[in-house]
Amino acid sequence: MTGPGARGAELEALEVDLLLEGVARQWGFDLRSRSRPQLLRRLRHHLREERLDSFSALQARVLHDAEALDALLRTLSCTPPALFAEAAFFRDFRTRVVPVLRTWPSVRVWHVGCGTGEDTYALAILLHEEGLWGKCRLYASDASEGLLADARTGVLPLPTQEDAQRYLEAGGKGALSDYYTRDGNWALLQPRLRDGIFFTQHNLATDGSFNEFHVIVCRDTLLTFNRALHDHIHGRLFESLARFGFLCLGRKESLARTPHAGAYEMLEDCGRIFRRVA
Amino acid sequence: MNPLGLLVMGAPRCAAADVESVLALLPPHLPVPVVLALHRGPLDALAPPLGRRCALPVVEPDDKDPLLPGAVYLAPAGYHLLVDRGWVSLSVEPPEHGQRPGLDALFESAADSHGPRAAGLLFAGHEDGVAGLQALHARGARVAVVGTNQTGGAGEEGEMAQLTLGSVGGWLARLAYVPRSKVLP
Repeated sequence: MTGPGARGAELEALEVDLLLEGVARQWGFDLRSRSRPQLLRRLRHHLREERLDSFSALQARVLHDAEALDALLRTLSCTPPALFAEAAFFRDFRTRVVPVLRTWPSVRVWHVGCGTGEDTYALAILLHEEGLWGKCRLYASDASEGLLADARTGVLPLPTQEDAQRYLEAGGKGALSDYYTRDGNWALLQPRLRDGIFFTQHNLATDGSFNEFHVIVCRDTLLTFNRALHDHIHGRLFESLARFGFLCLGRKESLARTPHAGAYEMLEDCGRIFRRVA
Repeated sequence: MNPLGLLVMGAPRCAAADVESVLALLPPHLPVPVVLALHRGPLDALAPPLGRRCALPVVEPDDKDPLLPGAVYLAPAGYHLLVDRGWVSLSVEPPEHGQRPGLDALFESAADSHGPRAAGLLFAGHEDGVAGLQALHARGARVAVVGTNQTGGAGEEGEMAQLTLGSVGGWLARLAYVPRSKVLP
């Protein structure tokens, strides 16, 4: 059965392919390895926001205008909207990973896909509270310079009452408001946190490993990629992780069917925190 | 008629009991995967109660798990569940209609990946899911609404089958029907 819906869908698929091809050739951002259903939904969302009629019109704009590309990449990224968005992860990290980190002389942490930095700053607050800030080097990377620029400012929307509550659920030892100063509806994070984080542009799809790390936090970042790129990136992460280092994934991400699954052990009774054992 | 490849169901929180009843009607040898999005809070344990009377296993899949026939895949809390041909694709896109998992998200992805080989069942009671069901319908999928739909106002609604809890069993049975000539010895 081919109705008008099916024909429209074929044309849309063609336009999307041309747009992605154009973006890859003009800007070097290969979005063709994204998870297709999610990409389609984000692109349609972006089209509505930009009040454009077709992906061909979006293509014309994106190919000529770097800011239009930046806006597109922003729509495609889905950073958690608040500090300590998933309290359970930070609680598990505190109780299961931090005690091991204490025994190491120095610790390099890589937050992969930091977006606008909410989870990075939450991690920095946690490491600070646990007395590890002095011997930790926290690297945060994202493919989008626009998002990184936001993250580097250390300015976030003012945390709400719920954010403060989740901070406590995550095992927070003080008050969330100790870590920022308020400026209207914005929170300026303390410079000692902000200045201790190395924000760096890194594209998981094309760039190789750039250091060896003891902890890699990569939560819900790989959801946006298709199976092939997802597996490829897990290879990069494996190469970047020291033996006995920790890999922290999102609550519903798994290493099953990835090339190095056998080299990891999952910590019991907590979320998806894996330890490289081989 | 295209052979069925996927059955998607979407339901608001108020229809959870109806969903449990309908899952109990699924034939044990259903030849396609069933994917279910149900509005839920972060702490609701849904898979065990929904699976109690269901002949098929009800699981909350991880990202990029394969979709296999004869199982019910329930959208986990806090994620949109999208269908990527034979695979699960979870997403942390912002909530829609205040909901994540969302029903429109699931239906839209099923329309894209399976088109006329999908079947969609929406439990009425929420604005979320109506647009997605229309997208499925436009792509030639078999769709139906269970219960009285007060939230949808679009004219296209009339073309969709309106079912009750009593008649949904027949609709499901017709979906799973395979003509005898096609059954291999």
